[in-house]
Order: sequence, then C-alpha cells, then structure tokens
Amino acid sequence: MASPFSGALQLTDLDDFIGPSQDCIKPVKVVKRPGSGVARIHIEDDGSYFQVNQDGGTQKLAKARVSLNDCLACSGCVTSAETVLITQQSHEELRKVLDANKTAAPSEQRLVVISVSPQSRASLAARFQLNPTDTARKLTSFFKKIGAHLVLDTAFSRNFSLLESQREFVRRFRDRANSSVALPVLASACPGWICYAEKTHGSFILPYLSTARSPQQVMGSLVKDFFAQKQGLTPDKVYHVTVMPCYDKKLEASRPDFFSQEHQARDVDCVLTTGEVLKLLEEEGVSLSEVEPAPLDGLSSSTSAEEPTSHRGGGSGGYLEHVFRHAARELFGVHVDEVTYRPLRNRDFQEVTLEREGQVLLHFATAYGFRNIQNLVQKLKRGRCHYHYVEVMACPSGCLNGGGQLKALDMPNRDLLQQVESLYGMVKVETPEDVPGVQELYDQWLQGESSERASRLLHTQYHAVEKASSGLSIRW
Amino acid sequence: MKDSLVLLSRVPAHPDSRCWFLAWNPAGTLLASCGGDRRIRIWGTEGDSWICKSVISEGHQRTVRKVAWSPCGNYLASASFDATTCIWKKTQDDFECVTTLEGHENEVKSVAWAPSGNLLATCSRDKSVWVWEVDEEDEYECVSVLNSHTQDVKHVVWHPSQELLASASYDDTVKLYREEEDDWVCCATLEGHESTVWSLAFDPSGQRLASCSDDRTVRIWRQYLPGNEQGVACSGSDPSWKCICTLSGFHSRTIYDVAWCQLTGALATACGDDAIRVFEEDPSSDPQQPTFSLAAHSRQAHSQDVNCVAWNPKEPGLLASCSDDGEVALWKYQRPEGL
Repeated sequence: MASPFSGALQLTDLDDFIGPSQDCIKPVKVVKRPGSGVARIHIEDDGSYFQVNQDGGTQKLAKARVSLNDCLACSGCVTSAETVLITQQSHEELRKVLDANKTAAPSEQRLVVISVSPQSRASLAARFQLNPTDTARKLTSFFKKIGAHLVLDTAFSRNFSLLESQREFVRRFRDRANSSVALPVLASACPGWICYAEKTHGSFILPYLSTARSPQQVMGSLVKDFFAQKQGLTPDKVYHVTVMPCYDKKLEASRPDFFSQEHQARDVDCVLTTGEVLKLLEEEGVSLSEVEPAPLDGLSSSTSAEEPTSHRGGGSGGYLEHVFRHAARELFGVHVDEVTYRPLRNRDFQEVTLEREGQVLLHFATAYGFRNIQNLVQKLKRGRCHYHYVEVMACPSGCLNGGGQLKALDMPNRDLLQQVESLYGMVKVETPEDVPGVQELYDQWLQGESSERASRLLHTQYHAVEKASSGLSIRW
Repeated sequence: MKDSLVLLSRVPAHPDSRCWFLAWNPAGTLLASCGGDRRIRIWGTEGDSWICKSVISEGHQRTVRKVAWSPCGNYLASASFDATTCIWKKTQDDFECVTTLEGHENEVKSVAWAPSGNLLATCSRDKSVWVWEVDEEDEYECVSVLNSHTQDVKHVVWHPSQELLASASYDDTVKLYREEEDDWVCCATLEGHESTVWSLAFDPSGQRLASCSDDRTVRIWRQYLPGNEQGVACSGSDPSWKCICTLSGFHSRTIYDVAWCQLTGALATACGDDAIRVFEEDPSSDPQQPTFSLAAHSRQAHSQDVNCVAWNPKEPGLLASCSDDGEVALWKYQRPEGL
C-alpha cells in the first residue's frame, strides 16, 4: 500500500525491518495497588487474559496497545503496519468521543472543538462544487449536528504564526553578525519537513528552523489554554479536533512538546484528514451540498465573522510573503506591493529578491517537495546557501496538494489542484496586524507580544533524533 | 559450443573480499572493478597481461557496489553501501573526488549515467530512484526522487539513446521513467518475474530490454509505440512494454547480471551457480517472438557466485566477469559455427 505520508517522511520513518534488539520501550503507566503478593494470570480459551486476585476475584486485562504516540516517543520505528492503523483510526476515535458524550453525565462530558484548515475547506469545496463561504457554513452545521460544540478556522490562529514568524526573522536578521546560525531562517510549519530534518540532519539543521508554532498548534494553545479557561474547564475536558490536508499533521499533534504534563492533555487530541471528513459525511449519509448552512463561530465575539478569511501568499500559509513584506518595511523602509516569484529549476523552487541600486537586500525562496529540500540542505551543508529565508514544505505544490486531500474523481490531478487553488484564493484576504481580536489576545491572554507566555504558547522546540547504534541495528 | 568462451586471464582484483561489479570505459581501454574491500581498481593491458593501473582506496566507508563511467570517459561514479555516491574525475595518473552525492537513506545499489552525460541516476535499498543533473561547473543537483518501487531497488540503467530510465527491484518488477514537464514520472511497470529482478540491459537499438532475476529466468521485453503495427494497446502517448521471450531452464541459481553486447547482440549472464552463459538470438526467429540459443556455457567460470558480466564496447567478443571469490576474469567469446 502506498504510504499516505509526505515523501520526506516516507523515506525516513517507515522501516519494516526492525532489528531484534530494539525493545519497544512504551512508557506504560504502572498502577501500583496496595497489598502484597503476585497476581496470577489466567488465560481463557478465547485467548483473553484475566488477572486472578488474592481474594479470587478476576479482572479482565486490557490488551496492551502500542499507539502512534508511543512509537514516536521511542525515537520512531513507525512501520507500514502502523501507518495503516493511523490512517484508519482517527475518525473512529472522534466517533467514540461523540458517542461517549451522548451517554455521559454532564461532569464527564467533553467540549468538542473542531478547527478546520482553509486547505481542507478548499478541497471539500471543490468536491461538492460549493464556494468557500458556503462550505464553511455547511461544515459548521454538519459538525454541530454530529455533536461538536464549536467549529473554528485555523486561518485565525495562522495570524499568530505569521506575526511570530515575521518578528523572529527581523530579530535574527539583525543578529546575523553575532551568530553563524542566525540565517537562513527555515519555515517550520510543515511537520513532514520537521520530522525529516530532526531525523536525518539533526543538530546541524535545528538552529536554522523557525521556532514559531504552526497554525494547528497555535490553535491548540488557543483552545486548550485561552478558550478552556474562559469556559472554566481544564484542558482534558476539551476535545480538540483539527481537519488538515495531510497525515503528517497527526505526527505533529503527537509531539511531546504539545502535551501538557500538568493537565495530562494534548493541545490537539485528534487530527482528521480531509478524506476522513469525507468518510464521516458518507457514514452519516450526508452530502455536504445538501446541508443547511449555519453561522460561523469564533473564539470570542470579536473574532467571529460572516465569512471565512485567509492570507495572501499561496496555499501553504503565505510565510514567505508575510516575512518578506514585513522585513522589507522594518529593515529597509521599503513598502512591497506585489511579491514577484521567479521560478528556478522547477515550479516548486522559486526565488524572491529585494534589490536597491543593484544590491540584493533580501533573498528569499520557496522549496517544496523532497528533491528541493535535498538540494537546499546540501547547499546549506556546503556553505553555499545564500538565502535569508526559505519557506520549506514537504509536498510538491504545497499544502493544497497534501496527502490527505480529496482525490480527483474524473479529471486529471493537475486540473483538480487548479480548482482547489482557485477556491482557496477566492477567500477574502486579511493582514495579520489588522485582524480584529488578534491584538486583543496578545494583550489579554498573552500579556504582551514579548512576554514569557507568548514565547511559551506561540513557540516550540526541536529535537535531534539519535539513530540507534547497536551492532544489532546494522542493516544487512 | 566447446571453445566458444575461452579464458584469457584471471586477476585477484579484490583479494579476501568480493568483487561486485565491473565497468569498461567508453574507449574500451580500461576496466574499473569495485568490491567489498571498499576499493575501486582500474585495470588495463600491458602487453598480454592485465595490470592494476590505479587504486581508489579513500572515498567510501563501506562496500562499493557499482561503478559507472561517464559517456565522455572522464568521470567515474561509484555507488556504495555507505549511502553515498562519489564522482571521480580522471586526471593523468589518478582519480580525484569531485563531489559526493548524499541523500539516500541507506545503501546505494546502483549508479548510471544518461547518454547525454548531463544526468545521473542512483537507486537504493530505501526503495527510491534519484535523478541528478550536472552542470558545467560539475555541480550536481537532485532533479527528482522517485518512490515508485515498494522494495529495495537493485539496479538502474539508461536507454542507449533516449532519456528513458529503467530500474529493477526486490519487488519483482522493472519500472521505466521519463521526464514530464518539470519532474520525472514512472511511465511503465513490467510485471512477470516471480522474484527479485537483479539487473537490466538494453539491446543496441534500445527497442528491447533484458532483465534477469532470482527466479532463474531472463526475460526480454519489447517496446511498442502508440499506433504500432502489431496492435499492442498503449495508454495515452506512453509506449507499452510486452514480454516477448523468457529464457528458462538454463540457469540453476539466481541470475545476478545480464549484459547485451552493443556490437554483436550477444547476451551474457552471470549466475549464482558460478557459471557464465552466452546466448545468441536465432537469426530466423520472429522479431515479435524471438528465440535464443545457448551459445556458450562456462560451468566453473569462477569458484563462487558470478556477480557481473561486461562486454568490451570496442572489441567484439571480449567479456569481463567478476565474482564473490574476489577475482576478475577476462574471456574471448566466439560465436560457434552453425548456430
């Protein structure tokens, strides 16, 4: 079965040849019960295990499960068997939570929040022949019908990712004389790229990565910290689902950095791909086009809108475009209207420059797809990378072409992608600095743009993954 | 069949190790060998004997699995289990490392130059095939990463005149690739072998492709262009490939290599039963359903598995072979009369 993960992730993570000595070190929580004595295990005819207590009572033991998170925590031996598990698991998981809510006591119920990415929405819009606003309204209605309480748009949290990226670049650019790893700044919103970078290039590449959190994970902070508090709930009482264009985002949500030890809860509990949302629709016997639209939600009254909004700069978030225009203004006092992209060896590798009197002031690039990532990293290793900022994405053509997007039914993939791009581009564009509610959140929730809270909730860290070097792990 | 394959010389090329592969330079004057001892040796003749003209001992941390000369003869590429591919430039007496291509996740199994000299292909146990482009300043850049195979890719070879790439894999298939817009795509998958396909060779015209396998057969595939006379169906503008001949019952073990002589059309095989065989196409057979006859069979060509056979590109009948026993052997083949 062809792997649904991005090409970059496929090459590094999937390995069906597990060496004999690699013990699965799943961190199992051992519950110590008072009393001495060894428990006896009895195996039934059907293969189920029962623990026989000292008083003769029996307890059926749950089957040990190794989930995706456990595997990643171990330093990753994600085999193709596991990928099959992940790809089939998530919308069932959501169902379980929604069903549990129906029968649970009010104090046991969880508040279900679903954050939809603009890329997934564009893919659904293309499939159901709807415009983005109707798609957003109908999705809101559908999710609420099956039990969700709030439906949000990650374009809102993307404002924070973009603002933090802009500020970080200017800071690092100004600091470049003091640090050999200040530049280039490499965008880090793509988990396929991050997992590849951590595994294959480790400590060499990590200092270059932007520390700004991705829109998915900023939304995680917004929902589990800001919103949960407002509702008087602890983070574990909120079930946060995101709808994303790729499977790699599931790995991002599973990162230990996005797990709160204090509350034992993840910032994002479940990631559904666009395809899994389609499955949900199909299981409900519903066609999105027939759903009655509902008004759009927001995190607060100042953030809900009549129609969805987006950002300029393409379907992968617009990082290059925003960082470039902000840097041009902040560093050189230049106002850039239209950003001109110059394609290089292929259309997934493009350049943008800011020049003045023949001098290059800023030199930025986009590098999408594994082959371009390869070339970028090799140039960086040889000291031949002249870019100040690179928007790196693992998927050729960017997020709109992610592995979890809906496939073309009766037309060439290229044509569908164009349709999805055009639907994505139809949405009203906003400048992060001007979005209502964003500044308010910086002031009230984060207590300032440069505060410790802003740094903790809007930024993250990366970790080099050490390769196991025991003799038994040599591949023959 | 007796005396049709005569041993000329035997050289202990990679002592105490395996010799994995051989490559003749385009002029046919030098033979490069590589092995488990991590070295590459360059052989040439001095009078009647074969002597080692150069040794490249630095450059790879593990076994060198394949070597390939560029079409101009000035560069040598080496693919290694250390996951890198080195490009060596031939200077007067020596070889100097121009660059090291990195990126494959694990063992690189094969490397091949395109006839234009501007493109290079590598393949690896990481299941991928990479296409690289080289510019005038000897800078190499990755042009495409192809993930079509589902298992270890053993060999890559370019069409003799077109920019068409073929790969052989542990997944029992052969795949063909061509450039489409700004990327490379898999344009055909050849299924039929029942086990690992170890090697490939195009015939002199490039219309046919020979593949050899762990299933102990050699298969000949033919390219059918859209609108062909034989009525073979093609999808879109891509040619179709059909298996037109299977050589079975000749080999008693895995066939590790196949070489198609570009001068005479003779087909040589390297087998795990320590033997070298040469096949000739029957001149009267139907081009759409050719038959091949065994023209030469050297049963104990080596004392262990034969890993590679390579025809000299300039001297008809001159064949080189190498083995797990670490030796390189040179043979003179003469087409038997009455065949």
